[in-house]
Amino acid sequence: MRTIKSKVFSPAIRIIVLMIITTGVAYPLLVTAVGQTVLPSQSNGSQVILNGKVVGSELISQNYNSTKFFHSRNSTDSGSGVDPDITPANALSQIPGISNSTGIPANALRTLVELDIERNKETNALVFAPDYVRVLNINVELVNQYPEVYTQEITPKGGN
Amino acid sequence: MDIVILLVVLVGSLGLSVIFGRYLARMIVYEKRPLEKTLGKIENGFYKIIGVDKYEQMTWKQYFLAIVVTNVIAAGFLMAVLLYQNSLPLSPRPGLSLDLAFNTAASFVTNTNLQHYAGEQQLSIFSQMVGLIFMMFVAPASGIAAAFAFIRGFIRKEFGLGNFYVDFTRIIITLLLPISFFSALLLLFLGVPQTLDSTITIGTLQGGSQTIPIGPVAALESIKELGSNGGGFFYANSSHPFENPTGISNVFECILMLVIPLSFPIAYGHLLGKGRGISILAAMLIGFGVMLALGLSEQSGPTGLETRFGSFGSTLFMESSVATNTGAANAALTGMSPNAVIGFFLGMFVQAIPGADGTGMMMMIIFVVLTLFLVGLMVGKTPEFMSMKINPRDVKLAAFVFLIHPALILIPSVMAYTTENAQSVLGEHTTPATFTQVLYEYSSASANNGSDYLGTSANTPFWNWSTAWIMLLGRYAPIGLMLAVAGSFTLRDRKEVVEPIKTSGFLFVGVLSVMVFILTALTFFPFLAMGPFSI
Repeated sequence: MRTIKSKVFSPAIRIIVLMIITTGVAYPLLVTAVGQTVLPSQSNGSQVILNGKVVGSELISQNYNSTKFFHSRNSTDSGSGVDPDITPANALSQIPGISNSTGIPANALRTLVELDIERNKETNALVFAPDYVRVLNINVELVNQYPEVYTQEITPKGGN
Repeated sequence: MDIVILLVVLVGSLGLSVIFGRYLARMIVYEKRPLEKTLGKIENGFYKIIGVDKYEQMTWKQYFLAIVVTNVIAAGFLMAVLLYQNSLPLSPRPGLSLDLAFNTAASFVTNTNLQHYAGEQQLSIFSQMVGLIFMMFVAPASGIAAAFAFIRGFIRKEFGLGNFYVDFTRIIITLLLPISFFSALLLLFLGVPQTLDSTITIGTLQGGSQTIPIGPVAALESIKELGSNGGGFFYANSSHPFENPTGISNVFECILMLVIPLSFPIAYGHLLGKGRGISILAAMLIGFGVMLALGLSEQSGPTGLETRFGSFGSTLFMESSVATNTGAANAALTGMSPNAVIGFFLGMFVQAIPGADGTGMMMMIIFVVLTLFLVGLMVGKTPEFMSMKINPRDVKLAAFVFLIHPALILIPSVMAYTTENAQSVLGEHTTPATFTQVLYEYSSASANNGSDYLGTSANTPFWNWSTAWIMLLGRYAPIGLMLAVAGSFTLRDRKEVVEPIKTSGFLFVGVLSVMVFILTALTFFPFLAMGPFSI
């Protein structure tokens, strides 16, 4: 009994304690330290800033109730429920409605969509993803280019 | 474009497998590795603390016992963390129920990562990090160590199976940890977050506020894929943009899943004959090719799929994940086409195309032994493997390894129906689609895969306890039997003669692939016919 105890249990417990420290504590903390120092934006969720204010994460969809914005997919339609992207076809189909509510010409909206598709292509080294439109980026771009149209929409609600 | 993605994944994972296969071979026979002096020093430090003599060899029973005891202690630790996470640091959450904690501990220690919980809602950062990331190293390291011992059994008479503690240390410190670290940094660069905060609350474009779960995702994600683990930080797994933000991260994660399973036949080739290694690699790739072809034969989605991956990126990831028994998912299973799902079943039934880290290779050798036996019967020759006679005991053990799997899938599937537990989760009216989900749950548990349809809806005592025991049996029973096979081979005389049935070359690859297919089809066909074939 004693030999089994010393030969099996003692090294097993010690190796587990060592690995908890190495792989469960040191490794994730080291990745965190490097990430927070070298890649702070990605490390903290790729937050998008507009006029000095955080307006969301580039990677997480958000709800839009205004007809002046491009809308994300319904949350249950995707695998994640927070798909930040829509297909080019979906984006193009939203253009007439947005053009109507904002008065922005459809052509200008179409150009914005195409530019976003190009930017996403570059992110994916041209070939590694199908064409898609990143909804938050294109909406931020709209606010940047047409601030006068969106003054109502981007005012915080609830007096804050 | 799709063809470029496919080529990058295949060439990338095979190219890296050539490098890592050579490295694994050096680890198996203790040859000099790059940086040997430094690595040796670090390892010696570990051996000193652990209290093992690195030259001490273990018998197959001692090796197996060391795996089981180490794994039980690790699982006990994880279970305690999950039960008492409310009193532990880093954004505590309520402790899990006993059955869910047991299920999760069993799931992660067996390299399954079936998840009946939603990580970002139910687990603290401490549980995700110190509990799960730690276990994501322990589980694949145990499987790879078992495969090392298994392969050593064939090298030469009384070469010795090795020492589990030595293998386990070397695998974690000099293989899994460095690759995970660099992969985590690459994933970070591509957009995967890494912080000790559990949520960020930020304003939205329209002036509202949004609370987004976050955490040390990059550190988890890399070992999740590399170690054939598959358990997501988020409930949505690799479909969540924080786990898999772009098409490039998707491709990279596919390569991470495939690299170690594909390195094993290369290592085997270095040690036991190049032709034999390449033949096993070819058989694995044929099986994987069939799965891919099934998946790509039909469009999946768009419902349940992520826009940035589309049908092709989702199918490639899902088939790679299930083929390697990783079980990660970048799409909802319900969004995948029926043919793709048939491909998943094929992967989980065979478990060796290419299968999980370590155990996939072991399973393929079991198929080789069974093939040699069956072919030997057909042509009337005594079956031999590596110039050793295959005796009746080897064949019996190999047959057991093969038969455990259907027993562990089919018996509990029937029990789930007779006890009405299937109906209580999936509805009174049983259809081929709901039967498929039950069959999938136990196939995934027994194969230590971890992908599933049921998710949190199976967080009931019946499903938690039953799948936990199936995962444990599906892990340790085959490993024990396979080590027993290696234990008897290592003591056996080798005859320096030509093999009666060659275990390399086109003919053997063909026979092996057909045998694997026939054995699997004969066993599972009726159940597939009732389920996925009828959807």
